[in-house]
Amino acid sequence: MNSSLAVAALILFVSLMLVLPLVPAFVELKRKSDASPLNVVQQHAGEIRHFANSFRTYIQVLGPTLQQCVASGATAVGTLPDGVEYLALGRCDHSQTLPIQQPGAICQVTIAAGSDLVVPPEITFLRDVYAGGRFKGGDNNSYRAILGEKDVHLGRSSRVTRWVHAVGEFSADHDCKLSGRISSDSCIRLQGACNFLRLNAPQIETGHIMPGKDPTRLSSEHDAIAGSGVVQRFLYDGDFEVHAGEVVSGNIVARGKLQIGSGARICGSVKSVGDMVLGAGVSVQGSLISGKQMLIGPDCAVNGPIIAERALHISAGTRCGSFQHPTTVSAPRIEAEEGVAVFGTLWAREYGEVVAS
Amino acid sequence: MIYVLYFIVFLICIYTARHYWFTLNRLFGFQRHPYIDIDTASWPLVTVLVAAHNEEKVISNILGALMTVKYPEDGMLVIPVNDRSTDGTRAIIDEFVARFPGRIQPFHRVSGKGGKAAALKDAMELVKTEVILIFDADYIPGAGLIKQLVAPFFDPEVGGVMGRVVPLNVGTNLLTRLLDLERTGGYQVDQQARMNLRLVPQHGGTVAGVRLSALREIGGWNDRSLTEDTDLTYRLLLHGWKTVYQNRSECYEEVPETWAVRIKQIMRWAKGHNQAMVTYGLRLLLGKHRATLRERIDGALLLGVYAMAPVTLLGWALALAVFFQGIAPLHGVIALFALTAYAALGNLAAFFEIAAAARLDGTRKRICLLPFLILGFAVSIFSVSRAALSQISDLVTGAELHWDKTERFRKAL
Repeated sequence: MNSSLAVAALILFVSLMLVLPLVPAFVELKRKSDASPLNVVQQHAGEIRHFANSFRTYIQVLGPTLQQCVASGATAVGTLPDGVEYLALGRCDHSQTLPIQQPGAICQVTIAAGSDLVVPPEITFLRDVYAGGRFKGGDNNSYRAILGEKDVHLGRSSRVTRWVHAVGEFSADHDCKLSGRISSDSCIRLQGACNFLRLNAPQIETGHIMPGKDPTRLSSEHDAIAGSGVVQRFLYDGDFEVHAGEVVSGNIVARGKLQIGSGARICGSVKSVGDMVLGAGVSVQGSLISGKQMLIGPDCAVNGPIIAERALHISAGTRCGSFQHPTTVSAPRIEAEEGVAVFGTLWAREYGEVVAS
Repeated sequence: MIYVLYFIVFLICIYTARHYWFTLNRLFGFQRHPYIDIDTASWPLVTVLVAAHNEEKVISNILGALMTVKYPEDGMLVIPVNDRSTDGTRAIIDEFVARFPGRIQPFHRVSGKGGKAAALKDAMELVKTEVILIFDADYIPGAGLIKQLVAPFFDPEVGGVMGRVVPLNVGTNLLTRLLDLERTGGYQVDQQARMNLRLVPQHGGTVAGVRLSALREIGGWNDRSLTEDTDLTYRLLLHGWKTVYQNRSECYEEVPETWAVRIKQIMRWAKGHNQAMVTYGLRLLLGKHRATLRERIDGALLLGVYAMAPVTLLGWALALAVFFQGIAPLHGVIALFALTAYAALGNLAAFFEIAAAARLDGTRKRICLLPFLILGFAVSIFSVSRAALSQISDLVTGAELHWDKTERFRKAL
């Protein structure tokens, strides 16, 4: 091979190597196969009831069938428009009992009851369940999702994988594992050793609630943030302690750990970049934010949102928010002792548990 | 000369390492989204400022979107800041005011200093709430966005909030697709990594919020700044306020569709950023204030990003000069290793970051366009260097900095 041919070959090879990565680029530029904007959900605002509302719309098609079943006291089976099988139950004189009775049975159809529904123990429901009235589940059941138009009660050691919405009260016996979204338009009550992720209701209670400090007596968070006046800010670069019984008017920001002594009263919001510990009977008018772990002592009252970036422990007798000022309590891991009340949202990103006080 | 070159190489290595650090943190580190779960609260009163200068093509989209967001109606007031518009912007705003009585309070500015900061400064006389959100007129907020941007203000340390900007007109041409990739890298990786690492997320001046008391403490909007957002970020930082980034608070925007508009835009950003670097750089690094050490270092690096373009060009020139003078900057094998290492890792850093960002977004095929980014970088490096030179020339001649509005391309509805 002569030298000019070699040079030409080298130039050709190098050109090819340069052009090679541009081939898929030109193809994509021409075809525009991935040229739509990133999908930003414009209308959905992350409401906890989103799936429940969608299911209610989805099951509307069964309305006439359910009415017939209720009127005749009969059951009906069929197929929904998307091919999913259903079992419609209807008796208005007293509660419906599911025809499946044997323990360990697996129910593979969507259940829709026109009235109250009682479910025997140790049944696995692979499809969603709808109850036009009250819903009462037996022990050791597994559910995908439940929509109850009145109260919903789950028996001991039940499991939910996706969501539950109760128009009435939602309650779960001991040892239930509640993955996904649990919501109620009235109240959620969880007994000891229940696991949870995302809960939302006007009132959420763990275990038995003793009458405690009423956060409505505190000024509203609305005032704290909206600033009817100037809220003073106290900024500390290291650790900081609010002494027992002390009253602080203003927002506190500690760049280290923060300890608030028993009975202290903070008329403002509190932030710590490190761990935060609240003693017994502390009241906070605004929000509580911790960059790490937060321990809230017994009988505290907090009006605003509570956020811990790592973990949160809430002791018995503590009340978060109020009916007038609902709030959010959130952390990756939450332990709520029996006897805690949250008004609004209780959201454990990874794991939440009701523990004995 | 050789020591200047060494210093430039050192700076480039720092920025390269920073790209990798941010990308690896975003891929494998602990992700901070502390406020995104706040879905129930006593929501505070909020004022939404919409900056508008000749925005007849887009203003109705944002006002329409704001009227449908999920936020208590009596808790939100929208103030379109109509800054000396000469097109149909005023008429469109007044039509919305009539359609939604009590929910929109227009601020028609007919004279005064030019620029967004000057307009916002004048509009502050109408603002009575502690929480202020700011949007440019070409943005289209979704239903849940207002609550998401307000939520961080429950944290008393937060002075500013920034959401994520998502280009809407991605598929228009090569430029819009490249800008989409750049934005993806900038927000999905850069901004979120800064949030994760407690560094300095940058306030973008749109899809953003600021706390009124913090704004007052730092002296209000700086109408001498070309990039009021960068200026705000650093003044908040120096006064002990945090700016936080909400990666899941996404909002559509329109990106430039012509290179001329893009060049104008990036030159303005470069000038504003350099202005902030000169004003706050030394004070941030060495001054007595409340920023942490890591914030000082990251803040200084962030201030220097646009200055790196002329510095890199200078580095190239020096490298050529050194080569033709026959000076060996490093000896033999070390030089070869350094060159190979940089060719393999250094050049890859920005591409790696953008590819990782696109992957995190769940988009795959647009990554094929990465080689074209060299074109975007080339245009940027020369435009930003030109901006820096023009800024130095303005400094010498005493010419005032001039604010240019970015042209819109959306068809009027």
